[in-house]
Amino acid sequence: MKPGRKHAGAAARSVSYSSSPLLASKTPPWRSKFLVALVGLGSCVLLGRAVHIQIVGNQFYRDQGEKRYAHELELPASRGRITDRHGALLATSVSVPSVWAIPKDVQATHEQKRQLARLLGLPPAELERKLSDPTARFAWLKRQLDEPVWQQVQALGIKGIYQTREYRRKYSEGEAAAHLVGFTDVEDRGQEGIELAFQQELQGRDGSRMVVKDRLGRVVEDIGDQVEPIHGRDIGLSVDAKVQFFAYQRVRDAVAEHKAKAGSVVVLDVQTGEVLALANYPSFNPGDRRNLSGAQLRNRALTDTFEPGSTMKPFIAAWALETGRVTPTTPIQTAPGSITITGSTIRDAHPHGVLTVAEVIQKSSNVGVVKMAMQMERREMWELFSQVGFGQKPQLQFPGAVTGRLRPYKTWRPIEQATMSYGYGLSASLFQLARAYTVFARDGEVVPASMLEQSAPLNPGSGLRVLKPETARAVREMLRLAAGPGGTAPKAQTIGYSVGGKTGTAHKQEGKDYASDKYRAWFVGMAPIENPRIVVAVMVDEPSNGVHYGGDVAAPVFSQVVQQTLRMMGVAPDLDVKPQILTTAVQESF
Amino acid sequence: MIRVNLLLGLALLFSSLYLVRTAYDARRLFAELDKARNEAGRLDIEYKRLEAEREAQATSLRVERTARDKLAMRTATPAVTVYVQDVAASGPGQ
Repeated sequence: MKPGRKHAGAAARSVSYSSSPLLASKTPPWRSKFLVALVGLGSCVLLGRAVHIQIVGNQFYRDQGEKRYAHELELPASRGRITDRHGALLATSVSVPSVWAIPKDVQATHEQKRQLARLLGLPPAELERKLSDPTARFAWLKRQLDEPVWQQVQALGIKGIYQTREYRRKYSEGEAAAHLVGFTDVEDRGQEGIELAFQQELQGRDGSRMVVKDRLGRVVEDIGDQVEPIHGRDIGLSVDAKVQFFAYQRVRDAVAEHKAKAGSVVVLDVQTGEVLALANYPSFNPGDRRNLSGAQLRNRALTDTFEPGSTMKPFIAAWALETGRVTPTTPIQTAPGSITITGSTIRDAHPHGVLTVAEVIQKSSNVGVVKMAMQMERREMWELFSQVGFGQKPQLQFPGAVTGRLRPYKTWRPIEQATMSYGYGLSASLFQLARAYTVFARDGEVVPASMLEQSAPLNPGSGLRVLKPETARAVREMLRLAAGPGGTAPKAQTIGYSVGGKTGTAHKQEGKDYASDKYRAWFVGMAPIENPRIVVAVMVDEPSNGVHYGGDVAAPVFSQVVQQTLRMMGVAPDLDVKPQILTTAVQESF
Repeated sequence: MIRVNLLLGLALLFSSLYLVRTAYDARRLFAELDKARNEAGRLDIEYKRLEAEREAQATSLRVERTARDKLAMRTATPAVTVYVQDVAASGPGQ
């Protein structure tokens, strides 16, 4: 090794960086300061962000976290039930499976699909269409299936097909009470009848609860407060399912027998104002509403109005009695069977001669009634008609009840006053007519009608007093004559109970004219006549099998409905009946 | 001092283990309770369904048909009815 090299090595070892001219670059002092500041700022940003996440804006992360384990469960409220006055179910909700699929998950053989379509009652093409959309994540296959069918579907073992529970309405009385009870749509909302009228009460409100679920989907903890579901309230109707069914059957039979288009029956309880039955034919099955026509859906007793015709006559007679213009025995000259008022002639079907007021009602003489009515002021008649409910909307919690037509009396011309006295020129529904007749049945009071069960009979005086009790009783006597031998409706008689009532028959109005071959026949009456318990109104639309008079078509229905209803109500007969009870007991030998 | 700390440390350890166990038990029991509640709900639904079914078997239409066709019954009229006074209503001892 050479000494020179050695020296150089020593010099290299003792190099001093700080003093090295190479390294002694002029580092500006701001540079280090800047770096320190940068790092400091970075820390501050991180700290700020941490503070933001942890303290200020933590809600988002909490929510996100909670979403991973917390689930909201819906607690469905069940829809209230509709019962009749004895608690028989008219409508109730049952939980049924609705089948749905995740189309892209469905793996099924051709045979499986065929069977599935058969079980669900779908055409195979339609099922194929529902399952063929690969982007869809959800498809209803069939809503509201029957339980056993779902079990069969499950047994097929097809992947990707699931069920959800839904409520379906069941209507046990079916078509007999269809118009009254109404129905709901697939979302359980009331569409018609009581289901619609009491939608608010029946519906209830769903509740909810927050829960923690574990990885197996089991609920392991409740979080927060639970919102209890509020179940729908049960609605107890005033209707008696048995009376309703019977009335429906009778009117259906009458419509068939007389080849009529339609018919309705209304039964009112006189003591409480309750509707005991309200039946219409044609009807429908509320559980299966495919291919329905408007004619089937219409609640005719409430929505169809017609001119009440002869059934108005007792009101005129009543008012004439009430105001002391006549007594039941006052004679009225009805010969020659016609009367002319301001150029128009009103005729009787059969000319009668001199009739008493009672006989005018019994024989249903137009001329006699017009003579009584023409002594009255227009205002008097209008007030009487309004008070018993004509031209007034029925105070009934039921959708679609119509008002009918009663023009203000100031616009009545004399001929109109005359025609209105025997029921033309105004219109009313069968229900309004039945309710108006409670004025005779309740000794001069009209009572508010109700669809809901009443706890107790209405006290006398709780209705609107229109007539004196004596007047109402006198008119009842006339109604008894009208429904008796020599009256217009002897077929209204029924075994054991005294009845009274008035028929009506009219040509149907078509456009502005009356159709000559189309009729409407009806009968309104009450029983037992001494102390009425029920008012029954029957209407048959377009009877076309030879007979068309109210006394022949509607009165027999009245008779049967009265008979059955009073029996079911436990009313003892007020007429003597020849007993037909035969005791044919044979002596037993030992 | 160390001994006390050790003791406290052990106590803490056991307490935490116990907490884990209790929480587990609580969740397990709650899951069972919930299952039982669901079962109750299911049975209630089933009950309502059966009730509706029973009602469907006892509709006026079916009762009338069975009475008439199977049991050969007739509708009673006042002519074949004996009306009796309700003894309880008119007072005892009659």
